[in-house]
Amino acid sequence: MRRVAVTGIGLVSPLGHDAKDVFEAARAGRSGIHRLQIAGAHRLVAPLAASVPFDGTEHFEPPQFRLLDRVSQFAVVAARRALADAGCELSQAERERAGVFVGTGMGGTLSIDDGYQTLYGENSDRIKPMMILKGMHNAPAAWIGIENGWRGPNLTYSTACSSSSVAIGEAWLRVACGPLEIAIAGGSEAPLSLGSLKAWEAMHTLASEDATDPARSCKPFSRSRSGMVLGEGAAFVVLESWERAVARGAAIHGELLGYGLTTDAGHIARPSVDGQAAAMAAALAAAGIAADEVDAINAHGTGTQANDIAETAAIKRVFGARAGRIPISATKALHGHLLGAAGALEFVLSLLALRHGVALPTMHLDVPDPDCDLDYVAHGARVGAAGRTMLSNSFAFGGTNAVLAVRAVD
Amino acid sequence: MTSLTLGDTEKRIRALLVKDFKLDPITLTRDARLEDLGIDSIGMAELIFNVEDEFGMKLSDVAVQLSTFGEVVQFIDEAMAHQPAAAAPHPLARPLQTGT
Repeated sequence: MRRVAVTGIGLVSPLGHDAKDVFEAARAGRSGIHRLQIAGAHRLVAPLAASVPFDGTEHFEPPQFRLLDRVSQFAVVAARRALADAGCELSQAERERAGVFVGTGMGGTLSIDDGYQTLYGENSDRIKPMMILKGMHNAPAAWIGIENGWRGPNLTYSTACSSSSVAIGEAWLRVACGPLEIAIAGGSEAPLSLGSLKAWEAMHTLASEDATDPARSCKPFSRSRSGMVLGEGAAFVVLESWERAVARGAAIHGELLGYGLTTDAGHIARPSVDGQAAAMAAALAAAGIAADEVDAINAHGTGTQANDIAETAAIKRVFGARAGRIPISATKALHGHLLGAAGALEFVLSLLALRHGVALPTMHLDVPDPDCDLDYVAHGARVGAAGRTMLSNSFAFGGTNAVLAVRAVD
Repeated sequence: MTSLTLGDTEKRIRALLVKDFKLDPITLTRDARLEDLGIDSIGMAELIFNVEDEFGMKLSDVAVQLSTFGEVVQFIDEAMAHQPAAAAPHPLARPLQTGT
């Protein structure tokens, strides 16, 4: 197995559009969650979201823009930023083998929602002809490949909330094992349609609005937590073989040590302590590190009743008595749940936490749930606490658990 | 129904192309090739959807060959003349260049 370097970061996120702004917002505990302004928002029980100020017409010419759902716009722009950050020029031969790995949970759901409007809402027999091309899950990956002329594997992973961690992990595997020298990997999600929000609402997974401040509505590990808040955006990283990155003098953000992937094969929606613990253990094994080498964790930490208790128990199972001394950050309190893009954004935040040596806070955690009794870095960032090695957890409906192990550059 | 002159049809399709495809009106000469305007088979499907909305007409799915802006205008104008007695053939410039 070869070492894998992270050499580029690209973001379109509720906390900002570059690594500096996003890290600073997360460090300071500034929430990107707010009351949602879309048509029909008044029909939601709690019209909350972490949306992104983003005008696609600023990034795409009209002929292409007409073909791009918002999820693809996010993906292509974030990928551009990651590749620009990596600063690498690929030869024609390298582009023939370069890989694109994208996670998305809901694909072009905005276009699908809009496309069916004529059929069901207007009782028309016609559907807009672009709906399939805009709505298909693999459109974001395809457009990244098209824009850059990358002709290696172009793969889309849809494992709900672990999609982009799976995408990054699968890319890591291919670079570490040798078939690929370079890959771009991450996730994109644009789920803020009325139909999608109502569907999530129907599952009773969404947070109620905080009485004092909508921005405080997502409260992972808190006794008063009431659910998650949907977010949108994209996060991508460039992964390269360590040798290639060093040879070209790249600035290396961190080393992706390994990736653990397990499946609950149990309940379709209820999290499994066994499955989550097994994924963390698998990540440690793939990384070739011991449990006591993990200095901090970016939790899946959704703020739902079921997740936070299960994840706490899973961390205890893997780390034993030491679990209570590991700083655990649930940054979804600030950027919301980006579903298929969540894992990638949290992986980036883990890289940034390591680079700055700061354990990011779990905000809005005033009174912990008695069953959530670990160190969640409540209230404020902790300087000097991130250490050298982190895990980034992503768990999903469907039972796909993906954990990324990342290390700071010495 | 009031019949439209060719000029009316052209003006309305021109307006659609400017609004939906962000095309420069100067490029929309009668002999401008659709391919040169960036309207491929997928774009043509989208244009037809919007034409159906604009003109309140339904075009059937029988493909005919259209290559220029002028041919599109002429086709829609003729289709309008035959509405609503029968659906006109679908003016795809060519079969959709797609596959699964």
